[in-house]
Amino acid sequence: MPLSTPPAPQSVQQSRGLQQRSRAAVTATGLWRAYGSGEAQVVALRDVSVAFASGQFTAIMGPSGSGKSTLMHCLAGLDTTDRGSVDIGGTVITGLGDKALTKLRRDKIGFIFQQFNLLPTLTAEENILLPASIAGAKADPAWISQIIRTLDLQERLSHKPTELSGGQQQRVACARALATRPEVVFADEPTGNLDTRSSGEVLRFLRKSVDDFGQTIVMVTHDPSAAAYADRVVFLADGQIVRDLDRPTADSVIDTMRGFENRVPLAGEAA
Amino acid sequence: MFRAALKGMAARKARLALTSLAVVLGSAFIAAALVLTASIQATVDELNAESFAGSDVLVQPVAPESRGDSLVQQGVSAETLAAVEGTAGVERVGITVAGAINAIGDNGKVVGGLSPTMAANWADEAHDRELREGRGPEGDGEVAVSAKFADDAGLGLGESVTAYSQTTGQTAYEIVGVYGYPGGRDSLGGATEIAFTTAEAQRLVFDGDDAYSALAVHAADGTDADDLAAALEPVVGSESQVRTWEDYNAEATAQSAELTGLVGNFLLGFGLIAVFVSVFLIANTFSIVIAGRLKEIATMRAIGAGRSQVVRSILAEALILGAIAAVVGTAVGIAGGAGLTAAIANSFLDAGQVSLAVPVSAVIAALAVGIGVTVLAALVPAVRASKVPPVEAMRAAVKADRPITVITVVGTIVTLAGGAAMALGLTHNLGGDKAALAGTAVGAGLVFVGVTMLTAWLSKPLVGALGRLWSWNFAGKLGRRNAARNPRRTAVTASALMIGVTLVTATATLLTSVKASIEDYFGEAVKAELFVTGPAVSELPASFDPAVMDDIRAIDDVDAAVEIYYDIADIDGTEQYVNTTTDFGGIIDLFSGEFAEGGTGELADDEIAVNQSAADQLGVGIGDAVAAEFTRGTEAHEFTVAAILVDNENTDGWYVAPVYADEFYTVKPMMALVDVSDGADIDAVTAAVDDALAGEPEVSAQNHEAFVAEVTVFFDFAIIAIQLLLGLAMIVAVIGVVNTLILSVLERTRELGMLRAIGMTRGQTVRMVIVESVTIALFGAVLGIAVGLGLGWALQNALADSGVDVFAVPTALIAGYLAAAVLVGLLAAIAPATRAAKTNILGAIAYE
Ligand SMILES: Nc1ncnc2c1ncn2[C@@H]1O[C@H](COP(=O)(O)OP(=O)(O)O)[C@@H](O)[C@H]1O
Ligand SMILES: [Mg+2]
Repeated sequence: MPLSTPPAPQSVQQSRGLQQRSRAAVTATGLWRAYGSGEAQVVALRDVSVAFASGQFTAIMGPSGSGKSTLMHCLAGLDTTDRGSVDIGGTVITGLGDKALTKLRRDKIGFIFQQFNLLPTLTAEENILLPASIAGAKADPAWISQIIRTLDLQERLSHKPTELSGGQQQRVACARALATRPEVVFADEPTGNLDTRSSGEVLRFLRKSVDDFGQTIVMVTHDPSAAAYADRVVFLADGQIVRDLDRPTADSVIDTMRGFENRVPLAGEAA
Repeated sequence: MFRAALKGMAARKARLALTSLAVVLGSAFIAAALVLTASIQATVDELNAESFAGSDVLVQPVAPESRGDSLVQQGVSAETLAAVEGTAGVERVGITVAGAINAIGDNGKVVGGLSPTMAANWADEAHDRELREGRGPEGDGEVAVSAKFADDAGLGLGESVTAYSQTTGQTAYEIVGVYGYPGGRDSLGGATEIAFTTAEAQRLVFDGDDAYSALAVHAADGTDADDLAAALEPVVGSESQVRTWEDYNAEATAQSAELTGLVGNFLLGFGLIAVFVSVFLIANTFSIVIAGRLKEIATMRAIGAGRSQVVRSILAEALILGAIAAVVGTAVGIAGGAGLTAAIANSFLDAGQVSLAVPVSAVIAALAVGIGVTVLAALVPAVRASKVPPVEAMRAAVKADRPITVITVVGTIVTLAGGAAMALGLTHNLGGDKAALAGTAVGAGLVFVGVTMLTAWLSKPLVGALGRLWSWNFAGKLGRRNAARNPRRTAVTASALMIGVTLVTATATLLTSVKASIEDYFGEAVKAELFVTGPAVSELPASFDPAVMDDIRAIDDVDAAVEIYYDIADIDGTEQYVNTTTDFGGIIDLFSGEFAEGGTGELADDEIAVNQSAADQLGVGIGDAVAAEFTRGTEAHEFTVAAILVDNENTDGWYVAPVYADEFYTVKPMMALVDVSDGADIDAVTAAVDDALAGEPEVSAQNHEAFVAEVTVFFDFAIIAIQLLLGLAMIVAVIGVVNTLILSVLERTRELGMLRAIGMTRGQTVRMVIVESVTIALFGAVLGIAVGLGLGWALQNALADSGVDVFAVPTALIAGYLAAAVLVGLLAAIAPATRAAKTNILGAIAYE
């Protein structure tokens, strides 16, 4: 079985990745996932094994339909797998019931969606506190105010989502994802609906939360410049991991994509 | 167009089915009301036609001029009978002697209660009687009784029954026969009957005069009924009236039509309310359906469909829905009407067989209303949909709710106008009591409509406030916010319940206030703790032997006991209500009466007392003379007015010395008041007085509570009856809430998916939807209760001068309505909550 992490190149930057890769926050082993049956069957994941180190920012890239979202959903306990297992923070989630999975998502996972998905009836602050409220727990006020300050949302707390710009909404969604200090934050195309400036703000925050707070983040993206914010990029094609790139830059990502575009026919499209 | 509409409908089966249920109910009630009215009418007509069947002309006494209780029965005299029999063209004359009597059952009390037993002569031709046991009466000491009487009295063949009338003492008769009526019936419309010999019937009914209640004249062959009637007219003279059987029957039919019309109108009212409420529901459903199809409509418009085509396609859908629902409703209504007719005919009317009538008008009305209402209700959303510009609808984004300014402004104006009308009516600024009452009623109606329009505006603060109930729970908090999210939709949904609850609360409040006013009145105005009376409503006045009064006075803890005699006398040429008693001062005291002028002492034989307004009516004062002739009196007596009483409903009327009781129509006292010592055990005294009344079949002792309960029993029935209305409103409300919630859940799929993704449990999701549902239902109920209480209060105030001077809140019922609202919310939440809990997270959040 090919190890998904290639030997780390020696450089000054490496410390950031290597030290924290010692413990895996999320580990997938031999994941298979197929939809439909018979002739119409689509195999979205073929024997995917990958580990995401604690405190690391990983981007998942690949052409449309390559299985990025499916992988993320399986990792997050939102989708079931046909074969293989997923481990989050030491808990094997494969085969858990709905109740246990719900609790796991509530306590150990944060989500950032492409469509922001804020509750329109709640204020920004209430949206940030939503996961804690659902759990019936009290959020750590010091931590919450730190996130809010970092995201520069102090002035917006009492606003309803409809009164916020897209970038502001996504920043609220980021704060919500981090509010419970989850084991891992999954973000599916978090900048897909944002302009360049807002994208930058969100990505810088994600980067910062990894650097400053040791947050683990797994982000699906189409955008090479977004991927460049990550510590590592995992490339998917046809339900399989085809490349694993450390310390990416926008250029190296584009190069890599070109590289396997030649091998795998692609419906190359932008987000 | 129709095919497209059908296809669209198939995709929304469940919601449309739910919605159409409201139309079905409306159509069904209308059809049922009309079928019931027609069928009962037909059944009653058939019964009426049996009366005097076979005779051609009827001779009956001229109905006596209304004298309150129509005291003395007039009959057709024996001379008239002889003259009729002697008229050419008369073949035979059947004689009927009939009147109300009292008969005592095996429990020692009068049989029948509210309706008295009828006496008839066995030879009577008014009805066919079929002997079931024994034979007809042959001697004056023998009777045959109807099966219903035997049943009610607990008496049978060979046993003895005691009967008496106003003019006779109690007489024992031997039951020699038990009979029924054609068609196996036990009674005529539920009445009990005893058949005597003609002579004995005359003794009971006409005080022994040789007189008759009716002559059934059979014409000789070849004689026309009209000609015979005309010929009999001069023979009979002014004493009696002559009618052909046809005319008689037509009159009876017209009379019963009035009554059945009343029942029918009641049901029609229910139907119209159901229809009214369903307009909201249908409009809401179509708005919802259209909202879900904006894209589709926009596409149609973009590829060239005109506005009118959009409207037409939606109306086509409404037409199909309305037609199906109306047909089903009409069928259900006809079946229900038939069933109800059978039930009523068999219980109340004891009709034996039922004639079912389905008038074409019933079918047309039910269909037209069902279809019309549906199409009309769909019109507004359809026109609105057609106005949506194609581009706008193509956008996926959820648009903000349309502003509710217009309807709020109009609603405020209507509410204020209604309030003003009510205020004018209540402050008697409209000139005339009728105008005041009408003003108040119209104002109340306007307020009702106005507030209905204001529901959307009211929903924000009210739903928020109600929602605080659930704030302890996060899922509840979300549910509350969701309920407040779309004021327009919440309002329309809640209106269904609000309308029903308003109507029942207003009615229940008014009836409760009437009841409380009566209770209050008795508690305050009447010092006596016990009454000795017969049934509150009876055709025959109950009376008793005054000798029992001494026994009652002898009972421990009885401070005073006074009996009262009543008569309607002729005083100075006017009909007046006259009382007498052996203790004039006592009775005035026990009824809390007051003297305006004159002494409180007992009245001398030539003295009379009267209340102020009656004295004013005749223009007499203290010392003036009046002439009074009592019902059984043969001459007028001269009296001097000795005392004037302050007006007081309980003591109003004229008072004379007890010596005149013998000239009263009822020579025995009809009521007594018993004053019990303070602190005594009222129940024990009641029982002791009842013992003293053991030999008096017509009356019993009742304390305030029992008396008031009996007087107000009608209100209890009325209150129960209007709760049926609430039941109907609840069914419709459940449908409305389900509709709205399903739509909300569908609209919020992505939100639900997100919530589930970030850790909301299924249980929390279910709770969230339940709270939304219950909050909407409670909102409707609370609004309805508030408006209903307001309207009830206004009506009570408008009627305050008529004696409804206490405002009483039906607390238990209101608690019941709130509970019902919670139930509506819970029931309505079942399907949407299940759906929400099953939300497919991936499907909901995966958005490409
Ligand atoms: N629920 C589903 N049912 C059927 N096919 C699915 C489903 N989800 C994903 N797929 C298929 O699985 C493949 C991978 O999908 P996905 O993980 O969404 O790709 P990506 O996010 O990389 O675009 C695609 O071919 C997609 O059509
Ligand atoms: Mg995807």
